[in-house]
Amino acid sequence: MQTTVQPTIALPQSESRFSTFLKAFRKSRTGVVGFWMIVVVVIIAIFAPLIAPYEQRASASTIESIYQPPSAQHWFGTDDAGQDVFSNFVYGARVSLIVGIFAALIAVLIGGSFGLIAGFFGGRLESSLMRFTDIMLVIPDLPLIVVIVALTKPSLFNIIFVIGLLGWTTTARVVRSQTLAVKSRKFVLRARAIGAGKAHIIVRHILPLVMPILVVQAVLVISLAILNESALSFIGLGDPTTLSWGQMLNFAFGRGATSTGAWWALFFPGFGIVWLVLGLTLFGQGLEQVLNPRLDTHHLMAGKPSLSKDALIKPLYPNTLVEVQNLSIHYVNEGKPPAKAVEDVSFTLKEGELLGLVGESGCGKTTLMLSLLRLLPSAGQIVNGKVFYKGKDLTALSEEELNDIRWRGISIVFQGAMNALNPVRTVGDQIAEAVVKHEPKFPKDKIPARVNQLLELVGIVDDQREHFPHQYSGGMRQRAMIAMALACNPDVIIADEPTTALDVMIQAQILELLDDLRKKLGLAVVFVTHDLGIVAELCDKVLVMYGGVTAEYADVDTIYNNPKHPYTQELLKAFPDLTKPKKKLSSIPGYPPRLDALPAGCRFAPRCPAAFDRCHTEQPALHSIGDNHIASCHLVEASK
Amino acid sequence: MSAEHFLEIQGLKKHFEAGRPALFSRDVQKVHAVDGVDFTLRRSEVIALVGESGCGKSTLALLLMGLEDPTSGMVKFEGQDITHLNDYERKDLRRKIQMVFQDPYESLNPTQTIEEIVTEPLMVHGFANVPDRRERVVKAMEDAGLKPADVYMSRYPHELSGGQRQRVVIAAALVLEPEIILADEPVSMLDVSIRAEVINLLAELRITRQIAVIFITHDLGSVGFFADRVAVMYLGRIVEIGTMLEVLENPQHPYTKALISVIPVPNPRLRHERIILKGETPNPINVPSGCRFHPRCPVAIESCKASDPPNVTLSKTHQAACLLLVK
Repeated sequence: MQTTVQPTIALPQSESRFSTFLKAFRKSRTGVVGFWMIVVVVIIAIFAPLIAPYEQRASASTIESIYQPPSAQHWFGTDDAGQDVFSNFVYGARVSLIVGIFAALIAVLIGGSFGLIAGFFGGRLESSLMRFTDIMLVIPDLPLIVVIVALTKPSLFNIIFVIGLLGWTTTARVVRSQTLAVKSRKFVLRARAIGAGKAHIIVRHILPLVMPILVVQAVLVISLAILNESALSFIGLGDPTTLSWGQMLNFAFGRGATSTGAWWALFFPGFGIVWLVLGLTLFGQGLEQVLNPRLDTHHLMAGKPSLSKDALIKPLYPNTLVEVQNLSIHYVNEGKPPAKAVEDVSFTLKEGELLGLVGESGCGKTTLMLSLLRLLPSAGQIVNGKVFYKGKDLTALSEEELNDIRWRGISIVFQGAMNALNPVRTVGDQIAEAVVKHEPKFPKDKIPARVNQLLELVGIVDDQREHFPHQYSGGMRQRAMIAMALACNPDVIIADEPTTALDVMIQAQILELLDDLRKKLGLAVVFVTHDLGIVAELCDKVLVMYGGVTAEYADVDTIYNNPKHPYTQELLKAFPDLTKPKKKLSSIPGYPPRLDALPAGCRFAPRCPAAFDRCHTEQPALHSIGDNHIASCHLVEASK
Repeated sequence: MSAEHFLEIQGLKKHFEAGRPALFSRDVQKVHAVDGVDFTLRRSEVIALVGESGCGKSTLALLLMGLEDPTSGMVKFEGQDITHLNDYERKDLRRKIQMVFQDPYESLNPTQTIEEIVTEPLMVHGFANVPDRRERVVKAMEDAGLKPADVYMSRYPHELSGGQRQRVVIAAALVLEPEIILADEPVSMLDVSIRAEVINLLAELRITRQIAVIFITHDLGSVGFFADRVAVMYLGRIVEIGTMLEVLENPQHPYTKALISVIPVPNPRLRHERIILKGETPNPINVPSGCRFHPRCPVAIESCKASDPPNVTLSKTHQAACLLLVK
């Protein structure tokens, strides 16, 4: 019966890294605009001889042609020597780009190697390199460039060289910090464990991850170099044999363009500089957004209130605290099929009840919990179903009404939330803030007493109240987060994987605490986890989810001793049970389905050892087996 | 070469300097990360090193891999002292001892394809041009359960699931045909349904390839009965060591007893009294006097505060360090 399922089926199509980059970059509007702005200048520079109507610096012979306003013959007018401004502008683009690109190349090479070496080798080498960088950074660039260029011959080559030699400091610092970040990652340690040498690690592991930042830096340094060159030329230190945009400005300004009202001689080269630098800056910003993952933003936003089409639907179990009826949630992304994260899930929660919500990662359990308080990301929408809290339909309430219930009625302890404490404020302070934020009318003088009471509830002793989060261990921080969740006396706490990152002993402590709180305060708790063992130790009822649907829902004894859904059965077999020595663990072959490409029939069918034809074509309904026992499997229906 | 002396660790210590307690203070504080560890590993044996965070198990792994230099003590591999080898001398040895890390999301370079990742160890060790390079890579991948290997070769890590990534890490270790795999919490980041897969894979490898495994974990439950022997660590020392059955069914050290009691049992009918220790593993800067476990020990007696308990031999294979066992 055991069928081996090739996990390869579930693999997404591989895309080249470049095409994914292009896709992401296209979304950055400023980046695309900047890119085309640069392209225009590059085309002008490359095809200068074809575009320019006159030779570079071709002087007209007559005195009348000096400072001619723009006309059909001279689109941008003429300058003090009667030369065509448009032609000079076109050739000037070449000079500016050449200076920018070569100076940036020098700067990025120096800065990149300094940063890489300092970041990778650390120690004395790092401190001396970085102190040198700091010194270079505080020396004002332009005056120094002026002095150096004035002392040497102001040739284009010298200018490029000097600008390059002084423009590397920021690059060095940025590259160093990125190198440090990459160096501390586990795959570098793994490479060392394999026996890789330093050169190998730098070339194969550090450089590919530093490169994106280096590219962004290069673009920004190009614009800086162009600005510096223009400034130099403007004050008369440009290469007299070439005509850059800065040089054009210098000549026009110094030779009476302002007094004769020849605005065109100043405007067009100035416009060229602004255009190119703006283009580079926008392009650099766009690149940075795509290439630097640290700028990614993930926000939980309150979803739009869903349309309550059926205001007539009433709760079926009026005595329960929370009742979820046939809830379905889809993530809708433009141009993609909706990801059906949750489909038709129902459950109830009584006062003092502990419900275990079990499933593998990506099965929709966190989405389900967030949707109860409508805290889904904006793409997540409740497309069907109801959530009742004390008889009130939460899917139909306004934001303000819902805010009354968030935290005061139902509160959440998030996964990994223990890292969400503010590091510069004491834990006591932060709990006091939680009290004030959610209950503005709470009498001020009673707040310290309330904070103490909350901390005592979660087992944090008084003298640790004034400690900062970094003085707390992971377990203590999780306790503090639970205290915050309790700040407004909620009836329901949703604990989303609260112990996943903790040691077994600390895990046991936190579980004991939650169980205690439930008994002491009559709290109802939803415990979200992928660990079946914890659920068995603690919960009254269990809801097993698979691929967004309810696989099985029953009381805890039934789930463990009389499971009906093959997924529950397989999951139990995969769990190491130390009471049954020498039992070989069995794993479930294959992987959970992707929520945007679900199988046609039962979502578990591709991995199910008992699947038959019907399972691959028809989605099983939820079948009730006995008192409070539900399973969605065709086999259950057949056996009835 | 006797099987007993495959890998031998004697009195291994690693103390990190943690800075001074106050500015201008003379003495430097020390973190006693690993504080005197002895054990031996036989060929194709699986030993589980169990302990909570801060017990020094990860530092011990780095010491064995030569990624940290021990303060004192000795590590012998096949009779040869490998404690203080430099990178050059160690290179050959690295082929024989490979490591699998905890987090398969972090331990793969996101810019490399799977083929590059699995081939890399061969390049590093100068097998870049051997004629059977590709066959070796394919075999390592298929032995690690990435079948057929062709499907995975050109993929990037982010396209694989957690279980598949951990298989890639294992394949990259296998390609050098190691004799020891040091697995540091290899399943703790994975879903339960996939954990069994990785553990079964390691169990298979020790049979098919005669590989010894040092399995480091905080969760004794996750090892199941895969290990031959278990060593329980607390604050830089091994407090109890024995065969899997001896330790699981007849634990003698109070810390081991507590650790075993909190392993979740997936059956609500077997809910039992759990020994939940108060507080957390103390900071290894200020190691408690006497028995280092006494401040949290539920059965500590007065003399535990003063004297450091010796290792008490309970059977040929079973030892525990507790004063209550001294007769």
